[in-house]
Amino acid sequence: MVYLVVLRRTKPLPYASILVPVISILLGVLLSSIILYLLASIPPLALFNLIVRSFTSPTVLKDTLILTLIGLSLVIAFKASIWNIGAEGQFHMGMLVATWIALFTPIASIPVLAKITCILAGAVAGALWAILAGVLRAYVGLDEVPVTLMLNYVAYYVLDVLVYGPWRGRFTYGYIRTDEIPENLWLTLIPGTTAHVEVLATVLIVGLAIWFMFKYTVVGLRLRILGSNPEFLRASGVNVKHMVVLALGLSGAIAGIVGALYLLGDTHRVSYPVEAQTAGYGYLGILVAWLSMLDVRGLPLAAYVVSSLRVTGITIQIAGLGGTAIVFLFMGSVLLTYTIAKVFSEYTIVIRR
Amino acid sequence: MSAFLSNKVFSNISKFSREVKPLVSLRGITKKFPGVVALDNVSLDIYPGEILALLGENGAGKSTLVKILYGLYTPDKGEVIVYGEKTKILSPRHAVSKGIVLVPQTPHLIDSLSVLENLIIGLREYGVFARVDLIEDRVREIASSIGIELDPRKPVATLSYTQKQLVSIIRALLLKARVLLVDEATTLLPSREKEKFYTLFRRFTEGGGSVVLITHKVVEALRVADRIAVLKSGRLVGVIDRDRARVEDVRKLMFGKTVTNNLQVRLKKTEHIDGGERVLEVMGLWVSRWFGDYVVRGVSLSVRRGEVVGIAGIAGNGQEELVQAIVGLVKPVRGSIRLLGVDVTGKGVELTRKLGLGYIPDIPMRYGVSIDNTIEENIAALLVKGKIIKWKRVNEFTSKLIREYDVKAPHPRIPVKVLSGGNLMKVLVSRELAIARSLLVAHNPTRALDEVSARLVRRMIREKAVGEGIGVLLVSEDLDEVLELSDRILVINSGRIVGVFDANRVERERIEELMVA
Repeated sequence: MVYLVVLRRTKPLPYASILVPVISILLGVLLSSIILYLLASIPPLALFNLIVRSFTSPTVLKDTLILTLIGLSLVIAFKASIWNIGAEGQFHMGMLVATWIALFTPIASIPVLAKITCILAGAVAGALWAILAGVLRAYVGLDEVPVTLMLNYVAYYVLDVLVYGPWRGRFTYGYIRTDEIPENLWLTLIPGTTAHVEVLATVLIVGLAIWFMFKYTVVGLRLRILGSNPEFLRASGVNVKHMVVLALGLSGAIAGIVGALYLLGDTHRVSYPVEAQTAGYGYLGILVAWLSMLDVRGLPLAAYVVSSLRVTGITIQIAGLGGTAIVFLFMGSVLLTYTIAKVFSEYTIVIRR
Repeated sequence: MSAFLSNKVFSNISKFSREVKPLVSLRGITKKFPGVVALDNVSLDIYPGEILALLGENGAGKSTLVKILYGLYTPDKGEVIVYGEKTKILSPRHAVSKGIVLVPQTPHLIDSLSVLENLIIGLREYGVFARVDLIEDRVREIASSIGIELDPRKPVATLSYTQKQLVSIIRALLLKARVLLVDEATTLLPSREKEKFYTLFRRFTEGGGSVVLITHKVVEALRVADRIAVLKSGRLVGVIDRDRARVEDVRKLMFGKTVTNNLQVRLKKTEHIDGGERVLEVMGLWVSRWFGDYVVRGVSLSVRRGEVVGIAGIAGNGQEELVQAIVGLVKPVRGSIRLLGVDVTGKGVELTRKLGLGYIPDIPMRYGVSIDNTIEENIAALLVKGKIIKWKRVNEFTSKLIREYDVKAPHPRIPVKVLSGGNLMKVLVSRELAIARSLLVAHNPTRALDEVSARLVRRMIREKAVGEGIGVLLVSEDLDEVLELSDRILVINSGRIVGVFDANRVERERIEELMVA
């Protein structure tokens, strides 16, 4: 008789932090291309060409920056073993308050201050939305996964109600959407791309701040210990409940900033139904965070790969070879192979006779 | 039964073993971990009918060897031969199927189930139609034959530590064990109970089984074992027959020459403790477990500056809950706790830590360290008071602790999980001693440590109390330790303090009586 026995590796796999993401991306793309070939008869070579072109397309930069920010948001929570699935909702709450400030307050007409106010208000709104789940987790013991996930829909529909009702614009040619925000609030394009200078600056500032927090501050260390042994954290005199709320609050704040930035840079208005107007960055960010192996330094690269695959999917869609599901096919395949590769980096299979 | 214990039968066993085939043989076993060679070319035979004691200082490789035999690790090099057949033991289940069973230090039993139910869960060999009444008879028979009361129908939660350990061993026997790996499972028992277990081991070896006794108590090993195997830094440095083994020789093998004499140094005591300020005052404390029974029942005690108060008792008599209530990890139901005169009752660890409390927990992996983080991160977590961590200073401080306590670690930036149990404990103890400013609560501070390390830790605790005037509450299931360290000794039994003794006028027998009463 021959048995296959799964054993935990006593030594970590060498270079696992590079091998796991690389292998999972390659296998994930391979898997999707097989499926696409079988279902839609897209020849693998053509697909390969598409992918290569996507990786070098100037439109990739915009998504890369946005997904890096969402990735940063999620890395904070994931490192603390707080599974924030609600970046999507926090993003939309950030967008909601930014829209309100831009359309209905006098601040909107003040040049630089208006942008900064929108971004900071987005941070506050995203943080509060996440803290809702944080408080439920810390003080009531409700699992944050379903709570953050369901709050995404609440956020969608709150914004939908506003856009459909009180916020519906006057100059919308019959579309259900808000008016455009004042032009002085629009972000500055980086020449030759669809990305914005302000977003790049935010990536640099937030990225450095979070890297510094995890490496050199007591709060960062406590968040990491919260992720590995909360009981020890409690026994060392730290209020674990506060840390849980803080982890979600910080995570939500960054997601909220992204929501505000996206309004100011890309959509300039909110259209009904809001859940269809963006790419679901909050969910894509989960894949980005995991592909970076929760390392802040790896985030831009992970975001770049995911953005490129998304562009590939969109191209296929535009070519009429498939629907929105194509993007999810890529993302799903990579996440699946990532999970498998992650398991193999920690376990090995032995043949026993 | 006394025949089993007669020396005539056993004095010759190891000579006799030479002609018998070993049950298990290790051949050139090598096991490396990142930065450490845990086992270096170890060859060892385990013969039927013998009790083999496995001795060694912390990090010598005892646990690694046991884990290899029990299928938790696979060796990098070398082979394991079971009943004459080359075998790769791949999992504990596989080990059990080969008759190799581990009896751990803390019993792995389900509290809410009865003894019988706990036993049946593990017995897949007995099939779905196992005759429960037969197993029940067998349990009663084994228990009564060595003179320990045990009702197989009672839930495990109501059992004493001794009874739980007995259940673990009975489970091993029911699993048709031929090799029992006893990992410190009897170390914490009172001496009278210990003898009963040794009787059981003797009878087991009489029937052709063998017992591997992993322990750090040299004197005891010499009294019980037929052969003594000594590991040092992953190498097997000696296998000695009991007849020819002397305590000093074994210690010398374990620790090297120089340190042996230090074992006899007397500990300093603080003078005029009675005048000192009361650091800790506990009044009429009641603590319950999961809203259920009270496990601490009206405990009052106080600790003064410079004083070491020892609490002696058998494991599971309310010590853990008492300690957790004082530290602030659980809320007591009634009573009050004052630390430096401040009421800290049920106010959480934040407050007690702010008041300068040091805490050495009984479960270090849970409350004492975060094993995925590095040594210096585990130190920094409690040491750094500001907001920014100056890693250079943390690193220097950690390196100093590593040197002072002789932690076997290449550098402070390795994760705690690669350390051996003893070295992990040293990291924790050194940190808590460094940060304690008013009271140190130490629960089994030396349980995982070898004699030399334990001695070092006890001396450090003493010096801390005497030199810095810190009060120490020592809760230990090791009576020797309590006797050695304490100025005052309290005996705890079923959640009550049943005796108070002055360290100068104390009778060991009287304490043991109160512990088991």
